[in-house]
Amino acid sequence: MSQTVEMPEVARGETILRVHNLKKSYDKLEVLRDIDLDIKKGEVICVLGPSGSGKSTMLRCLNLLELPTGGTIELKGDVVFEGDKPKNLDDLRRETGMVFQSFNLFPNMTAKGNVSIAQIRVRGRKKDDADQRSIDELTKVGLAEKVDEYPDRLSGGQQQRVAIARALAMDPEIMLFDEVTSALDPELVKGVLDVMRELADSGMTMICVTHEIGFAREVADRVIFMDGGYIVEQGPPAEVLGDPKEERTQKFLGLVLDH
Amino acid sequence: MKKSRLVALLSALMILAAMVVVVGCGSSDDDSSSGGSGDFQSELITDGTLTVGSDIPYAPFEMGKAPDYTGFDIELVNDIAKRLDLDVKIQDTAFDTIFTDVAQGKFDMVASASTITPEREQVVNFSDPYYESEQALFVPPGSDITSVEDLAGKTVAAQDGTTGEAYANDETDAGQVRGFPTGAAAIASVVNGQADAGIVDAPVVEDAASKGQSGFEIATNIPTGEYYGFAFAKNTPELLKAVNGALADLIDDGTYEKLFRKYFNATPPKSITSGTAAEDTGTTDEG
Amino acid sequence: MGDFFDIFFNFQFMADHFDVVFQGFLVTLKLSAVGGALALVWGLILAVLRQVPGKWLAPVRWLVIAYIDCLRGLPLLLVIMLLYSGLATLATQGLIPRDIGIPQWFGQPDPFWYGVMALTLTYGAYMAEVYRAGIEAVPRGQTEAARSLGMSHGQAMRFIIVPQAVRKVIPPLLNDFIALMKDTALVSVIGLVEAVQAGRDLYSEFYNPSGFTLGAFMFLIVTIPLARFVDRLIKNQNEKFQRGLP
Repeated sequence: MSQTVEMPEVARGETILRVHNLKKSYDKLEVLRDIDLDIKKGEVICVLGPSGSGKSTMLRCLNLLELPTGGTIELKGDVVFEGDKPKNLDDLRRETGMVFQSFNLFPNMTAKGNVSIAQIRVRGRKKDDADQRSIDELTKVGLAEKVDEYPDRLSGGQQQRVAIARALAMDPEIMLFDEVTSALDPELVKGVLDVMRELADSGMTMICVTHEIGFAREVADRVIFMDGGYIVEQGPPAEVLGDPKEERTQKFLGLVLDH
Repeated sequence: MKKSRLVALLSALMILAAMVVVVGCGSSDDDSSSGGSGDFQSELITDGTLTVGSDIPYAPFEMGKAPDYTGFDIELVNDIAKRLDLDVKIQDTAFDTIFTDVAQGKFDMVASASTITPEREQVVNFSDPYYESEQALFVPPGSDITSVEDLAGKTVAAQDGTTGEAYANDETDAGQVRGFPTGAAAIASVVNGQADAGIVDAPVVEDAASKGQSGFEIATNIPTGEYYGFAFAKNTPELLKAVNGALADLIDDGTYEKLFRKYFNATPPKSITSGTAAEDTGTTDEG
Repeated sequence: MGDFFDIFFNFQFMADHFDVVFQGFLVTLKLSAVGGALALVWGLILAVLRQVPGKWLAPVRWLVIAYIDCLRGLPLLLVIMLLYSGLATLATQGLIPRDIGIPQWFGQPDPFWYGVMALTLTYGAYMAEVYRAGIEAVPRGQTEAARSLGMSHGQAMRFIIVPQAVRKVIPPLLNDFIALMKDTALVSVIGLVEAVQAGRDLYSEFYNPSGFTLGAFMFLIVTIPLARFVDRLIKNQNEKFQRGLP
């Protein structure tokens, strides 16, 4: 674990993450072709698109869970990825938090343990401090009475909220959400979306790959539509969702909105 | 596999196993022969063949590779078989079960540098003695063990089931007696320094030394006055008689002396050639 | 058939010579406990080393794979003999200290330690493969979540992956342990008297095989309950799996 290099502070509204010419191929299959993205601090971005469009891959490239095959990523002005090599993996991972479709809670720990483990091992916090922070975060997502339960005793929605708390406890600058409600029973989706809404209101920079159009319309500052590895269209939700300019966007929304 | 088929298969296997056991137990009982003068042929496992069990190698008594085994015991056996007009089949086998094996009829006789002892005679019958032997106490070079008394508290290596092992256990104050499946392994453990000393048949130790095996030296010989004999099951008396006869013949006509000189480079002991050993061990009476 | 029982199930003989066989069985248990514990640890170390990431550590991975292949491909008996003669020879030639070439640690004689080494080296290789299957069965999402939180490969393995993997593979590990316990009999070839050799010594001295039968009873008293326990563990794991729990 490298020493904490103090990264420059970024003011709200300034660019915090910049992606340029990002590409990703698996052998011959090009999944991402030339993505340019400029994310501002405090922005809430929702990424929509059909399956296979590359939206999840792009998200996973942002914290280098996937290694792009070309392009650059700059975090707070410092290059963290260039060409095909990560230049500063630790800082990037420290500043980003990710929540997954399949929750990925650690089954051998309680909810509190899940939220504390990385605080202790990665951030170096003392156990008592970490546990107290964990209880606070779990309370914020409405799970105060579940802190000592193991994941197998929690519903899907509760597990996902623990996952969100777990990522937030690390004080990331940017939160990445990868279709986090797609695996939930419908009646549990609202609970998770409410937590995300509150998070957005509190000023967190968020990038959400999602199918929840309603959420995108109400909460997003910017909606991005992707298809075939490209960003086809992006802009405020009223524009992209209400009056899409590209034919592909229109087709997709026509397919999706009627439900 | 369906359950009923599985049950049938298992039952068949168990019946088969039981049959093997019964037949195995049975065969040593119905080896024919009650009396019959000189009719040892019927006592053999295989018609016309003398099946011999031996722990190979144990130079200079038995050694070499199948089917051309050689050694003092082997050549004696070959000669005896010729005199009895029999083929020879040698079966390499572990020494520490060899007497029960022959008693159960796994072979016709044992030729394996086997000392005649009262304990063994409860299980097998021995031929007239054909070799006079003693044990050798051997040690790593430069050891300060020079006699049996010096073995107190020490680790002594021997071969499983031999008189050397019994001697180490009963006649010394050895701290630990380690048994090995072969004599060579016992010698090796002394060479390696894992045992302080070893007690193995003297001719075998001397033979190893003369063949250039190094890393040990003989501290002293232990004159145990042992005699080797060929071992037979109790229910093959005619075979025993026949072998004794052939043995006596080959001693009389000088074959024994020739073989003895070949392997031991010395004159054979009077105890064997004059038959006094046979009287000492009383084996002739039990023939 | 009555004779058969008199010979093999001679309870008087078993009673008279109970101590000899029991002492041998205690050696069996000691060998199993020490060898088994070390094999479990060594196997885990091998499994983790096999997974170290990065270009520079590729030689480590190759070495471990080669080791596992060799030790799984050699008979335990051969490994015992190689250690027995090899280590002592190295010691007498002064290449390694005598204390290591002919180990007599904690009052146990050197064949005991050669046996422990052979069991550890061989069964460690088998167990490494069991652990590996366990590690590979842990869902990728676990590693992804750990790495996303900023944990290094080592931290992810130590806190997240290995604990889950080990829990999953306890039944096959226990099965390997039962096999190890039976294989301790092989150490008799280098002069250690364990349960089977005790039976053999009795057989060669008294021509009665009931010592073997007694030894067999002692083994079964331990191995059968262990095997039943493993079955129950597997059943519990399967039930949890059916209910959709991790």
